[in-house]
Amino acid sequence: MRPFTLQKPTTIGQAVSGKKESAQFLAGGTNLLDLMKKHISQPDRLLDINSVLSEKIESTAGGIRIGANVRNSAAAANELILSKFPLVSHAILKGASPQIRNMASMAGNLLQRTRCPYFYDTSLPCNKRKAGSGCGALKGETRMAAIVGHNPQCVAVHPSDLCIALSALDARVIINGKDNKETSIPFKDFHKLPGTNPEKDNNLPANAIITAIEIPSNPFNKNCSYLKLRDRESYAFALVSVAAALQLNGNRIVEARLASGGVAHKPWRWYEAEKFLKGKTADLSNFKQAAEIIARETHPLNGNEFKVPMLKGAIEVALQNCLTA
Amino acid sequence: MGFFKRKHEPKKVPEGRVEGFYKVTGSGKYAAEYKLENVCYAVLVGSTIAAGEIVDINTDNAKDIEGVLDVLTHRNRPQIPAFADEAKAKRAGFSLPVLHTNKIFFRGQPVALVIAETLEDANYAASLVTVSYKTDQAKVDFDKEHATVPIAATGKERGSMDAWSNAPHIREQAYTIRNQVHNPMEMHATIAVWDGDKKLKLYDKNQGVNNVQQTISRLFDIPPANIEVFSEYVGGGFGSGLKVWSNVPLAIMAAKQVNRPVKLMLTRPQMFTLVGYRPQSWQNVRIGADANGKFLGILHQAKHGTSVFDNYGEGITRISRLVYNFGNLKTESATVPLNLGAPTWMRGPGDCTGAFALESAIDELSYDIKKDPLQLRLDNLAVINDPDTGKPWSTNFLNECMTKGAEMINWKSRNPLPAQTKEGEWMIGYGVANGMWFAGRSKASASIIMQKDGSITVQTAMTDIGTGTGTGMQNIAHLELGISHDKIRIKLGNSNLPAAPSQGGSTGLSTISGAVAAVCDALKMKLAGYASLQDAIYKDAKPESIVLSDSGIAYQQAGNHLISFDKIFSKENLQTIEVEASSGPGEERQKYAFCSGASHFCKVRVHTKTGKVKIDRHVCVVDAGYVVNKLAAANQVSGAAVGGIGMTLSEEQVVDSTHGCFIGGDLAGYHFAVNADAPIIEVDFINKIDPNINPSGAKGVGEVGIIGAAAAIANAIFHATGKRLRDLPITPDKVLLAKS
Ligand SMILES: Cc1cc2nc3c(=O)[nH]c(=O)nc-3n(C[C@H](O)[C@H](O)[C@H](O)COP(=O)(O)OP(=O)(O)OC[C@H]3O[C@@H](n4cnc5c(N)ncnc54)[C@H](O)[C@@H]3O)c2cc1C
Repeated sequence: MRPFTLQKPTTIGQAVSGKKESAQFLAGGTNLLDLMKKHISQPDRLLDINSVLSEKIESTAGGIRIGANVRNSAAAANELILSKFPLVSHAILKGASPQIRNMASMAGNLLQRTRCPYFYDTSLPCNKRKAGSGCGALKGETRMAAIVGHNPQCVAVHPSDLCIALSALDARVIINGKDNKETSIPFKDFHKLPGTNPEKDNNLPANAIITAIEIPSNPFNKNCSYLKLRDRESYAFALVSVAAALQLNGNRIVEARLASGGVAHKPWRWYEAEKFLKGKTADLSNFKQAAEIIARETHPLNGNEFKVPMLKGAIEVALQNCLTA
Repeated sequence: MGFFKRKHEPKKVPEGRVEGFYKVTGSGKYAAEYKLENVCYAVLVGSTIAAGEIVDINTDNAKDIEGVLDVLTHRNRPQIPAFADEAKAKRAGFSLPVLHTNKIFFRGQPVALVIAETLEDANYAASLVTVSYKTDQAKVDFDKEHATVPIAATGKERGSMDAWSNAPHIREQAYTIRNQVHNPMEMHATIAVWDGDKKLKLYDKNQGVNNVQQTISRLFDIPPANIEVFSEYVGGGFGSGLKVWSNVPLAIMAAKQVNRPVKLMLTRPQMFTLVGYRPQSWQNVRIGADANGKFLGILHQAKHGTSVFDNYGEGITRISRLVYNFGNLKTESATVPLNLGAPTWMRGPGDCTGAFALESAIDELSYDIKKDPLQLRLDNLAVINDPDTGKPWSTNFLNECMTKGAEMINWKSRNPLPAQTKEGEWMIGYGVANGMWFAGRSKASASIIMQKDGSITVQTAMTDIGTGTGTGMQNIAHLELGISHDKIRIKLGNSNLPAAPSQGGSTGLSTISGAVAAVCDALKMKLAGYASLQDAIYKDAKPESIVLSDSGIAYQQAGNHLISFDKIFSKENLQTIEVEASSGPGEERQKYAFCSGASHFCKVRVHTKTGKVKIDRHVCVVDAGYVVNKLAAANQVSGAAVGGIGMTLSEEQVVDSTHGCFIGGDLAGYHFAVNADAPIIEVDFINKIDPNINPSGAKGVGEVGIIGAAAAIANAIFHATGKRLRDLPITPDKVLLAKS
């Protein structure tokens, strides 16, 4: 790893004013330190923000506010989250391992980098790691790659599980910029598609810090489910995952939410399918049709065509699981 | 009666392992954990191309980093004598002329070694070494290359292929398996310490200290006696520690160059390219049976990958020659040279791959014939004689393994037809398959040092890679001598101790049990010699009529009158009593064939919409002769079966033929099975002594637990879904896309 200096700011103000392009915030370190050891991320300075950011989960007028420094395992076990936003807990618990979740912060989870093997191997081309070097996966191994929203520049997917739930629940990312003023970004606009600059994963302004995540109150705590399909039952990233949530009136769907991981450069919402389900009866035939609508939106790559039927199956099962949840 | 007339009163063994305390408390040291004065650190730089030549290496930036002592490349490294001469190199059995050539054979091949005061300095500096290459076309695509390699006979043909060309039932299918890696928890590491020019100490992770000693002796032209190898604790191996890899000579070269002890530990990504793997394979099996299901003949063909610089062959078709009676049989094989690192033995090498094809093909045939796959196997088992040599099996209870396993999983409750049993969206299925492994034994030595208080230390150079060898030795010594377990210490993994072969191929306990029995006899005789000075009747004593206890020695013919150790030691003014003995296989190997066997039974559920496979139950019944320590033996089998689950459902080291390499080099992306993928493996043993194999009556148990596991699972998936999956690993996408 490249030598670096370590600083420990004590306020958010100090943290943002000390941040430059060549510096990095250090939260749980479960992603950043790995990337540094592999010479993928080479900051000259680390700003340890563990004593700067909130570790509180609070109820607010409009919903819930989760401090950026709350650990993934603490959020998953939190009473408020379990009763009002259980989808968040389900998704977190499908990610990583207990040891990693004990260290991983909420903000760090949003900012974790892709697990595309070409990104991780500095001797292979990757536009995300080294702009202009090409996309190694495109002509190589695409099994884990995207089936929607990709372009020849980059076919990587965002690896988070938590973010799929946050996307389905229209969370907001609360940030402090260089001016140390609090603003927020809607979740759907937080992560981005590769476009012409796949080296950027998201729209967090340069040197800004995430301070919290807010989720608005919602009626999805009764009928929701998170399904993650992967190559092994634990400690693996998603081939495809689905966060599904239904607001039901008897047998009728008042409102539906569907989002997926393992399919795109960002957490992916299936708005068309949601629209289709609105007002329909909650039954298998409608779930199947929703899955068909979703399948039509996809553009699998050479080598990951299987993700489409798998995704269809996952959508159906996740929606069915909402009814038995 | 067998060759070895030993008592086998089943004795209760204490729970736990002799090394448990030291491992749990961290006081037991793995290779890289030894703290040596003045040690410095080395980090490897790997080639970024798969085939070609180094044109230039720039180490200036790396050398500028503070703390860097030197950077070795093929231009400035100290000469390894054997690499100066091709014949010598061949004799050394070390095929990669590491840092002695500008040629590149595979991606990841060491091209430079940075040596620095700290690991951090070395690591960072290693990232600054730049190499320019002349790139050649690399061959890494096994599927493409194997078609161009001709296949040749392996082993003697039996009968003829024509004899059964009109058999009422014939099945012919191809089966494929992708590359799999060992990746034991402890990464390969070496600390090399020179003492002058001709003496060397190595703290090294391996499965055989004497093998390391011999190999390094030949490479560096130093007498073996001048090389000490320490591998007291080994954090797993699965076969990767049976060979000496480049980290050992590299650390030795580095230590010579900087004239200090050097520690070199591979990184986890390097573990994926530099220390072997189970090579990708293709197999074709044609099998025929008569109308009643009697096997008439088999053709088993196999090809697997190897590296361009090291031809490694594993006996994939061997298993077809052993388990069942095939009057007509032909086996053929070939290796396919590729620009990848060298493959090597990995748990159940060859047979584990072969069993997937053989036992899948038999299963396919059973559904063609509409005969219970269990019965079809039972009817054709060769449990009396080894069909290949014609020798009688010393013991072979595979039939009993099958019957017992069938009972445990309640085989008869299963619907004989595939794709019939559903629970919601899950399809349920049962599968069976057999595994077999030659029960080998080699020569080994052991010694005992007895103290005045009657406590003993039993020692040998053999390693214990986590298998429980040391614990088994203690159990056997207790059985032979009668001395309490807590008075028996075990010392292992040090080349200064009595010589022993590497621990591999399930031969460890079988081999060392002979040496332990022999040295126990030697101790009895030595004590009897001293006792005879006090009571002349001891002159005629034989080991079997001598009884030791914690307090002393007794002899049947002397009315079992006890002479205390204390008396012997003080009378003869002794500090310790030391004996050493060797034992190895003999005449019994001429008369008998030896095998361990296992029957696997599996119950799976397969999700119709997602392709997910869940293993509900996995039963493994093993014939491993006398079970010296049930807990340790069951632990071996259960670990192997979980390895089998990974092999079947998820393990694949992906090759990218565009970029000429393995891709992905971490355990988050390489999917070995985790606890959540495996049920509690239900292990049982036939536990009948093999009276001819060695004095303990125990046969090896390390491999059979994985051999056959894959087919049992794949067969269960077929029974559940009607989909026959012939390409491992059976990931959910393959299940989903397969046609029934
Ligand atoms: C083996 C393994 C398996 C995993 N499996 C999964 C999985 O299945 N599903 C899943 O969702 N995740 C998985 N993860 C990822 C894990 O969830 C992330 O590593 C973790 O959430 C990152 O959080 P952290 O606090 O450790 O972040 P760090 O590593 O400390 O930081 C990550 C990045 O975020 C930046 N950062 C951190 N906090 C802030 C802030 N407040 N404001 C601005 N920038 C900030 C850092 O500068 C850095 O760039 C896995 C990780 C590993 C190592």
